[in-house]
Amino acid sequence: MSNIIELINAAGLTGRGGAAFPSAIKIKAAKENKARLIVNVCDGEIGAAKDGWVVANHLNELLEGVALITSGHAKPIFAAHRDSTTARLLAAAGLKVLEVPHRYVSSEETSLISLAHGGTARPMTKKAPFVFGGQRSDGKRIRPTVVLNAESVWRVSQISRRGVDWFRSYGTDAEPGPRLVAVGGFVSTPSIIEAAAGIPVMDLINLAGGLDPSVRLVGVGGLGGILLTADEARSAIWDTPTMKSYGGGLGPGIITVWDPRQAAAHTAGAMIAYGAGESAGQCGPCMFGLPALSADWNAFAMHPGADTHRRLQNRLTLFERRGACAHPDGVSRFATSALRVLGPELLQSQPYFAGGNQPTEVLSYV
Amino acid sequence: MSDTRAVESDLARIGVDRVLCTGHGICARTLPEAIVLDEWGYPILAADAVRPADAKLAVKLCPARALFLR
Repeated sequence: MSNIIELINAAGLTGRGGAAFPSAIKIKAAKENKARLIVNVCDGEIGAAKDGWVVANHLNELLEGVALITSGHAKPIFAAHRDSTTARLLAAAGLKVLEVPHRYVSSEETSLISLAHGGTARPMTKKAPFVFGGQRSDGKRIRPTVVLNAESVWRVSQISRRGVDWFRSYGTDAEPGPRLVAVGGFVSTPSIIEAAAGIPVMDLINLAGGLDPSVRLVGVGGLGGILLTADEARSAIWDTPTMKSYGGGLGPGIITVWDPRQAAAHTAGAMIAYGAGESAGQCGPCMFGLPALSADWNAFAMHPGADTHRRLQNRLTLFERRGACAHPDGVSRFATSALRVLGPELLQSQPYFAGGNQPTEVLSYV
Repeated sequence: MSDTRAVESDLARIGVDRVLCTGHGICARTLPEAIVLDEWGYPILAADAVRPADAKLAVKLCPARALFLR
């Protein structure tokens, strides 16, 4: 096999879009099947910003990475949200831009492949990886196509230029290499940071202005991610084993410090409701399940008690691998995590609506 | 142990095309040990390995053509 795949394999590069799949395997399959390359520059997750940053600051190296991966066949496509700054930068550079609608699931891997084939930007059932080609559920033929995250492609060119040892001088043995993290939310200077696995989460937050003492929650990975309490964030290490112990992963490189002036149960509920509204409406467990999850969250947040708690817990067991894409898995992961950090205090508290002497609903207006 | 492996290797693995599935629920009747339905009638795979003959029948009887053999 070609030298570049051996280099990527030796470097241990994994996809930086969140799935962390070994890039060498994917790129080898792409070359063997002469798959068309789609570079995902959408930053589709809530709080994501790093891939647009790669285009804005390292476009030449990104294109070098593209050339190494495609070795000249089939013109690569760059997926970016319609009317975004990133889409304009790519178009100005004369590149083929796939304009992606502003919906949460439209930048999902198979949504992009469907869109590139003239379909809607909605996820497809993936019986086998589309790098081998396949078909959509309606029978439309899908040509071999591979989707790589923009940061991953940029790293390929860096590995080629600077070498495996340079790459492996960052991160941990299990998770080598530099990786970008967008730190935002309730910080003084939201930043894109060149980080690596194994460093304290607090180091990342400090580079974006630090953690205000009033902060209570820190999000990792957006709507498909998890929540940490501020205390957990103060001791957490930015690596997969640590994040996995809290129910998540490194995701697509996002840390969001939650604004302590907003009621966290309400913010979490708003995110779950947003997630429900962003279902593509194709798979029953998602299109019916997520609105039910949203209702169950709200019922628990408004009336925290054993019955609403149990109902929410039962609901959260109904999403694992039950969609064409992982959107229902992601939202339920987030809700599970929100329940972990917020559930105990809600159950202990006597919120206004749950108070024994308070009216629980307006019976009639006079 | 070798007996168990032999039996497991004889089983068929099933999957659901979630885009095609419209919740007819026939699969829960044809594969009652492997599939239960949620409150809207969409399948929950309690097990994805079933006897090949049962799997073939279930795939054949799925009105949405959503059930498939892996």
